[in-house]
Amino acid sequence: MDFAWLLQSLLNGLSIGSVYAVFALGYTLVFSILGIINFAHGAVFTLGAYLTYALAVGRFGINGLLSDLSLPLTLPFPAALLVGALLSGLAGMAVERLAFKPLRRRGADPLLALVSSLGVALIVVNLIQYLVGAEIYSFPSDIFGDLPMAVIFSVGGKPVAVRTIQIILFAASMVMLAGLGWFIGRTRGGKALRATAENADTASLLGISVNRFILGTFFISGLLGGLSGTLIGVSFGIAGPYFGVSYGLKGLAVIVLGGLGSIPGAVLGGLVIGLGEAFLPPDMSSYKEAVAFVLLFAILLVRPQGLLGGRLEQKV
Amino acid sequence: MALLEVEGLCVNYGAVSAVRDVSLSVAAGEIVTLIGANGAGKTSILRAVSKLVTPRAGVLRFDGRDVTGLPPEVLVRLGMAHSPEGRQVLARQSVGDNLELGAYVRNDRAAIAKDMERMFELFPRLSERRKQSAGTLSGGEQQMLAIARALMSRPRLLLLDEPSLGLAPILVSEIFEIIAGLGAMGTTILLVEQNARLAMRVAARTYVVESGGIVLEGPSAELAADERVTKAYLG
Ligand SMILES: Nc1ncnc2c1ncn2[C@@H]1O[C@H](COP(=O)(O)OP(=O)(O)OP(=O)(O)O)[C@@H](O)[C@H]1O
Ligand SMILES: [Mg+2]
Repeated sequence: MDFAWLLQSLLNGLSIGSVYAVFALGYTLVFSILGIINFAHGAVFTLGAYLTYALAVGRFGINGLLSDLSLPLTLPFPAALLVGALLSGLAGMAVERLAFKPLRRRGADPLLALVSSLGVALIVVNLIQYLVGAEIYSFPSDIFGDLPMAVIFSVGGKPVAVRTIQIILFAASMVMLAGLGWFIGRTRGGKALRATAENADTASLLGISVNRFILGTFFISGLLGGLSGTLIGVSFGIAGPYFGVSYGLKGLAVIVLGGLGSIPGAVLGGLVIGLGEAFLPPDMSSYKEAVAFVLLFAILLVRPQGLLGGRLEQKV
Repeated sequence: MALLEVEGLCVNYGAVSAVRDVSLSVAAGEIVTLIGANGAGKTSILRAVSKLVTPRAGVLRFDGRDVTGLPPEVLVRLGMAHSPEGRQVLARQSVGDNLELGAYVRNDRAAIAKDMERMFELFPRLSERRKQSAGTLSGGEQQMLAIARALMSRPRLLLLDEPSLGLAPILVSEIFEIIAGLGAMGTTILLVEQNARLAMRVAARTYVVESGGIVLEGPSAELAADERVTKAYLG
C-alpha cells in the first residue's frame, strides 16, 4: 500500500462518486416531492448519453433504424453536453406526463406509478435499441479539443494520473450540486418546492402551482440523469441500451445508503460508493459492481434509515 | 353584491355523500359562521370552496365571477385564503418562511415585510420564534401561525376552519378577539367552528349545517335565541 496508490484512488473515487451523487439526486428530488421512486430515471440517463453522443459526433451509429442518418451539424462537446442534458430534462418531463400525472389525477395508489415508470423505462430502452442498435459506443478521443487527456504528476517517484474527464466529472457535478443547493435552500422557488414536497394541499392553498413544480422537478431530475449518463459514457463508453440499468440500481443503492429523500444523503452516499469502488484492491477489481451493495448491506445493518436519513418512524 | 356565492354545492367522497345541495353567501366585509356537529360537512364545504376537493355539483362565484372550474392556487391569486382544519403549517420550515410563503402570490417585497411585522405584533408569541421550525411550535402557536400565514396573502375572503380547535380557554378567547378585530378592519371571513357560542358572537350571520345540508340560517342574534339552536349547539 503506497501513498501514490492511495492518492490515485482518492481522486478516482471523488470524481466517479460525485457523478453518482448527481445521478442519485435525480431520484431523490422526485422521491421527496412525490414519495415514489422514478424507475425511468436510469432510462433517461441512457438517453442523455446517446443524445449527447449524437450531437457531438453527428451520427447515430452503425446499426439500427437510424444508422444511415447523420446530423447536418455537430456541436463542440460542452455545447453537446448542455443540449443533451436539456433534452434529457424534457424527457424527464415526458416521464411525468406519461407515467405519473395520469395516475395522480385519478387519485391512484402512488405505488402504481412505480410500475408505470418501469414501463416507460422499458419502452425507452427498447426504442433506443431499435433506433441505434445494441453496440458499445465510445466517444472519440479528441472530444476535448486541445486539452490533454490527462495530467500526470509523480508522488514519491510513482505516477499519479488525473484524466481530463475526471476533472470535468468532478467540476460539472460540483456546479450542479452547488446550484441545486442554492436554489432549494435560498430562493423563493426553492421554498415553494420544499412546501410542495412537505404537503401538496397546503402548498396549493398558498398559491403554489403544485403541478408546475412537480413538472419542474422532473425536468431537473432528467437533466441530472442525462448529464451523469453522458459523463459516465464519456468516461467508460456507452455500453449499449441497457447501460442505464446497472447504474440505475447503483443509484438506488446510493439513495438508500445515504437516506431516502435526503439531499445531503444522496451526495454523501454517492461519494461513499465511489470511494468504496476506487479503494478496492486491484486484484479484486472484478467485484467492483458488488461494492455498492455490500456497502449498502453493511450500513443498513448499523443504520436502517441510511447515513443521513431521518428516523424511520417519522417517515411512516 | 355578495363576495362569495355558493349555489347547490354537492361533495362526495367516493360513494359517500358529505355535502348535499348547499347554498350560501358571504357579503364583502361580513363575518359568517357555519356551525354544526362533528361530521356535519362543514370542513367539506370549505374545502370545496377553496377547491381542495372538486365539488360534484354546484356553482361558485367569487366577486361576481364564476370560479367553479378554477384550481386552489388560482383562487388564492384572486384573493381567497383558506386556513385549513388541523393547522397545516409547514413543519419543516421556519415560522418566518411559513409567513413568507403565505405571501407567495404577492410581489410587493416592502409591503410583505411590513405585513410580516404586523403579524408579529398581532401574534407576539410568533415573533419570538420566527427562526424556529414550525413543527416545534405548540398546538396553539401553530394555529396562530396558520391564521397569520393565511392573512399574509392579504385575502379579500378568509376561510377559517376551527381556529380554536384544541386550544386552552384563554387562547380561545384570544383567537376570537383577533377574529373580531380582523372583522372590524373589514376582512371578510367565513368561519367554521365547534364553539358555536363564540362563533355566533363574532359573526353577523350563521348557517347551521346538519348531515351535509343547511337546516337553518339567519342573523346570529336571531338564531342564538332560537330554541332549535340553543338546545343542540349552545346547551
Ligand atoms: N377524505 C374523506 N374521505 C371519505 N369521507 C370523508 C372524507 N372527509 C370527510 N369525510 C366524511 O364526510 C363527512 C363530513 O366531514 P367533514 O369533515 O366535512 O365534517 P365536519 O363538519 O367538518 O366535522 P368536524 O366538526 O368533526 O370537523 C363525514 O361523514 C366524514 O366522515
Ligand atoms: Mg371539520
